Amino acid sequence: MNTAASRYDRIARETFIPQIGKIVEVADMTAKDRFFRVVLENPLGHRPGQFVMVSVLGLGEAPISISNGPTGDNILEMVIRRIGRLTRAIHELNVGDELGIRGPYGSGFSLDDFYDRDVLFVAGGLGLVPLRSLIVPVIAERGRFGDITLISGCRNPAEELYRDQLERWTTDAGMDVIRLVDSTENMPWKFGTGLVTEPIPKMTMDAEKIVVALCGPPVMYKFVIKTLMLRGVKDTQIFVDLERRMKCGVGKCGHCQINNIYCCQDGPVFRFSDLSAIPEALQ
Amino acid sequence: MSYHLATQQNVINWIRGLASENPVYFPEKYGHASYRFAKVEADSEIQFEHYTPTVLPPVKLLIPAREELLSFRKHSDGKTEINPTLDESFRVIAGVRPCDLKGIFLIDLFLKEGVADAHYLARRENTALIGWACTAPCDSRVFCAAVDSLHHSEGADVFITPLKNGDVLLEIKTRLGEKLAAGTDWQPCDDGPAKKVGVVASMQEPFGRTFPVGVQDIFKKVAKNWKSPIWDKHVERCFSCGTCNLVCPTCYCFDVNDDMNLDVTSGNRTRTWDACMLPHFAVVGGGHNFRPDPAARQRHRVKRKFEYLPEKFGHGAVCVGCGRCGRQCTAKIDIYDIILDLINEGERS
Repeated sequence: MNTAASRYDRIARETFIPQIGKIVEVADMTAKDRFFRVVLENPLGHRPGQFVMVSVLGLGEAPISISNGPTGDNILEMVIRRIGRLTRAIHELNVGDELGIRGPYGSGFSLDDFYDRDVLFVAGGLGLVPLRSLIVPVIAERGRFGDITLISGCRNPAEELYRDQLERWTTDAGMDVIRLVDSTENMPWKFGTGLVTEPIPKMTMDAEKIVVALCGPPVMYKFVIKTLMLRGVKDTQIFVDLERRMKCGVGKCGHCQINNIYCCQDGPVFRFSDLSAIPEALQ
Repeated sequence: MSYHLATQQNVINWIRGLASENPVYFPEKYGHASYRFAKVEADSEIQFEHYTPTVLPPVKLLIPAREELLSFRKHSDGKTEINPTLDESFRVIAGVRPCDLKGIFLIDLFLKEGVADAHYLARRENTALIGWACTAPCDSRVFCAAVDSLHHSEGADVFITPLKNGDVLLEIKTRLGEKLAAGTDWQPCDDGPAKKVGVVASMQEPFGRTFPVGVQDIFKKVAKNWKSPIWDKHVERCFSCGTCNLVCPTCYCFDVNDDMNLDVTSGNRTRTWDACMLPHFAVVGGGHNFRPDPAARQRHRVKRKFEYLPEKFGHGAVCVGCGRCGRQCTAKIDIYDIILDLINEGERS
């Protein structure tokens, strides 16, 4: 029985015991979104588009997107929206405080799908956060890609994330950045107004050569994909990063199931053609 | 593997003996007509004759309604200690019927796959199962034969088949079974398999409720009915209470919650049963519900049993035909009726 005990103890540790991360930087991005940089005990070793399970022990745990590029060091960056009991508590934390971190989990993006192609990123609201983990490594190897475009939309100017980053990407990343808001709501805004679908019909686009990565609120996907397909972009050239409720991250708790697939294990990033027989994917 | 013969009283005494040394769970009568798996005490009644499926299947002894996954403590030096909580105590579950053996067999498969579920498997590995063959349908709601679980005995350490003359045939199937049987005075039996075949041949036909087509054809029908009025028909009277999930021998979805102790430095993380029929099951932060419609939730539940998990694991239907969901449903929604309607309906994609 002793050997069995140590075996299951090890598996349980690997599955459910978070490593302790120390917060080294906190910054407000909007009134409800906060940036956190965390130093971990061990290297994160993540791929773009993966996520971690973040916990405050005693309060709970939730899946959170990783927003830094895969660097191989012990750094984890996230932008967390204050939305419930746990995230409200996380927003109370400061530099020096601890977070429990499990993961990384999920499929993520593979840069091999993007090399030598034109790249279009479509981000809606918080969708910019996981997409950033892909944009950063793409820019780092700028020469290996064709035209790069980012369409980033949010509700109003006050809700825009990563403003400094968007400025830098606009000026010196060799990338077209289209910044949009649904409505200015009478706030100062020097960029465009409209939905993230609107620039797509007007873009100069080589439909054969482009690869698209999109992430945003559930309602966004259908419309963006439809607009892309009208431009002749095939479903094999579109990658979607989906959101679902998750409680375990290891394909057991059942919450993230989309028809016969598990978002936490098979996703959250999917090639859209792989979802053709998955009617629940874009609901 | 060996076969033995004994009297029923002999077996009952054996189970009492086991219960004097280890926790043994056995179906006991509860209320007027219900049964539940309860720990055998000195004054417990042990009998095999009268039985209807227990309200909860025995697999729930291995997946408790609330289970601690880990405990944590923040020490005064600032270090946080976190340890998994594993239950590796030994137990025996006896009187497990074939449908429930199939349920445990399937849960074993599901929770071993990919990232193994250490909490379940630690408990499961320290559990002995004593099965009991059904020779007559236990009530009018069962359809175990129709989903191929009536003759399931895999996973049992000892499997018992009652014979016509009142005695029983004991099949020792594992080393653990041999250990449990040590010291018994059962008679060795040379023609065990033949005796079993004889029992099966004398069982009534049809056995419980039946479907007009076999399991493979049911899978095809269910897979081809994404948009069907059947999903709306039965769910019309559904309260979305999740009882069907909670009493199902193959449901294992869970929620995870933390609790802090009053010292505010220690606490634990637990998992509790969750249910895909509950309205909040697929709600994400911010409030979006990926399955807001009860019909979509019921379709998901049925497809897990008859399409998704059968396809993924290839061990037949993931509904064992025990009839518990229909028996316990306040609104009398029965997965049997849903499947029958889908079989009889034309194909829709």
